Amino acid sequence: MDVKGSGKKKERASIFSQWPFNKFGNEEKWQQLFKTLVITIISLVAFLITWWGLSELADTDYLPDPETVFRSFIDTFQIRDPLTGRNMWDNIMASLTRVMWGFALAFATAVPLGLAMGFSKNADDFSKPVVEVFRPIPPIAWAPIMILALGVLLGPIVLVFIGVFFPLLSNVIFGVRSIDPILSDAARTLGAKRSHLFLKVILPSTIPYIMTGIRIGLGIGWMCIVAAEFIAATGGGVGQYIVFKAEVGRYDQVYAGLVVIAILGLLTTELSGYIERRVSKRMGML
Amino acid sequence: MKLTLEKLRKTFPLDEGELVAIENIDLEVESGEFVCLLGPSGCGKTTVLRIIAGLDTPTAGSICLEGKSISGSGSDRGMVFQEFALFPWRTVRKNVEFGMELKRVPKEERHRISQKYIDLVGLDGFENAHPYELSGGMKQRVGIARALANEPEVLLMDEPFGALDAQTRNLMQKELLRIWQETKKTVIFVTHSVDEACFLADRIVIMSARPSTVSEIYEIRWPRPRDRASVEFANLRKQILAKLERMVRIEDDGTQR
Repeated sequence: MDVKGSGKKKERASIFSQWPFNKFGNEEKWQQLFKTLVITIISLVAFLITWWGLSELADTDYLPDPETVFRSFIDTFQIRDPLTGRNMWDNIMASLTRVMWGFALAFATAVPLGLAMGFSKNADDFSKPVVEVFRPIPPIAWAPIMILALGVLLGPIVLVFIGVFFPLLSNVIFGVRSIDPILSDAARTLGAKRSHLFLKVILPSTIPYIMTGIRIGLGIGWMCIVAAEFIAATGGGVGQYIVFKAEVGRYDQVYAGLVVIAILGLLTTELSGYIERRVSKRMGML
Repeated sequence: MKLTLEKLRKTFPLDEGELVAIENIDLEVESGEFVCLLGPSGCGKTTVLRIIAGLDTPTAGSICLEGKSISGSGSDRGMVFQEFALFPWRTVRKNVEFGMELKRVPKEERHRISQKYIDLVGLDGFENAHPYELSGGMKQRVGIARALANEPEVLLMDEPFGALDAQTRNLMQKELLRIWQETKKTVIFVTHSVDEACFLADRIVIMSARPSTVSEIYEIRWPRPRDRASVEFANLRKQILAKLERMVRIEDDGTQR
């Protein structure tokens, strides 16, 4: 059995050579990271200088300079608005809660529907006409009627739902259809029936696609909630904050609100992207 | 268990008429026998194997296992694929246990059986690795263990070493023979490598190009392990290669793809 022994040793070694951190030396990796960091800083500084220069040139309340916006940004978190009694944390929580409810609703419906549409041709034929009619409508176009019909509490949530639903649905269907048919073949030769195929092959291999749908859906969800809060101006929210501040002419605070939205959007996308990559790696689908 | 193919025929519909992929294949495989299906590429060897596995349905003819006609896929026929076809989200152990999970084998017994086959294919120590962490040869060891752990009567292998480099391939052939001798399974092995067939098989079934049918059967009674450098090995290889070459030439002259 010496043949077997030596073969195993060789294969064991080849595993380690595949690990990503061995692709290039550690030093080279740090150098690359450092370079990226420097370029990123240059880019941001150039952006701030341009902003500052433009605001000096324009000399108008509509474009405050970066420093003013930064101060307002800090203040909004600390000082409660005298009219509404809210600071930025309250507004963020209000928006976040709506996004999460809308997202939960979309997740609970789009994932099962997507799995069914991907798996069964009948389900696809049945649902597709309706889905295809509604898909091209920008979610924000629903805002006026939804808020009138469903009220300021439910309306914005339903808008987020619409925004998250379609990208999630598309990704789930795509995920089910992207399954390598050979995996189904393998499962069948191991004795799998149709219900087994669904639970043990299709469902697990769709999870990374569901994660992608979540990431894209959450990005759109944030856009929807800000738009909805422009119209449904009660109960707080970052969108609402921006409208109020624009109305009273505090443009520096409007920009601070925009910065908050940018950061929240970035955080959401980065966090779900991170989870997506972790899950894909865990599932062995890199 | 004895496997019988009777007048197997498979056609695919074309715009006009039909394409006859397989015509009248009769074959008997004895229990514990190692049979290689060998033929030029596109000759339908894989289709025959897929029909036996129940992944494709024959247009006519039947497959019998110990005299009992079978249709559809089932755990009595295990299959090993050229592309490995491992479930990427499952660890080595979970891949091997897949078939037992479907049969609701209790967890402890599942563990015991999977360990037995993981040891058999020489993967002890890699139970918790995911397929992406394994080399090609190791992946196919998992593929073999997964098929065997389901305790099939027949092991169907579709060019299982086709995606491996030459060295790993030779090693895996030796490993497969060892595993076959330990488990005494009936093996039907599809390959287009004459060398591989001569090294492994009790019988080599040569299949002709489309429409595919059994062209000739070679029985090899040499003991194992066989010596690739021996004169008799070289002679048989030459003889089969010449036959295959003639078949391909006839096809090139006579028909269009």
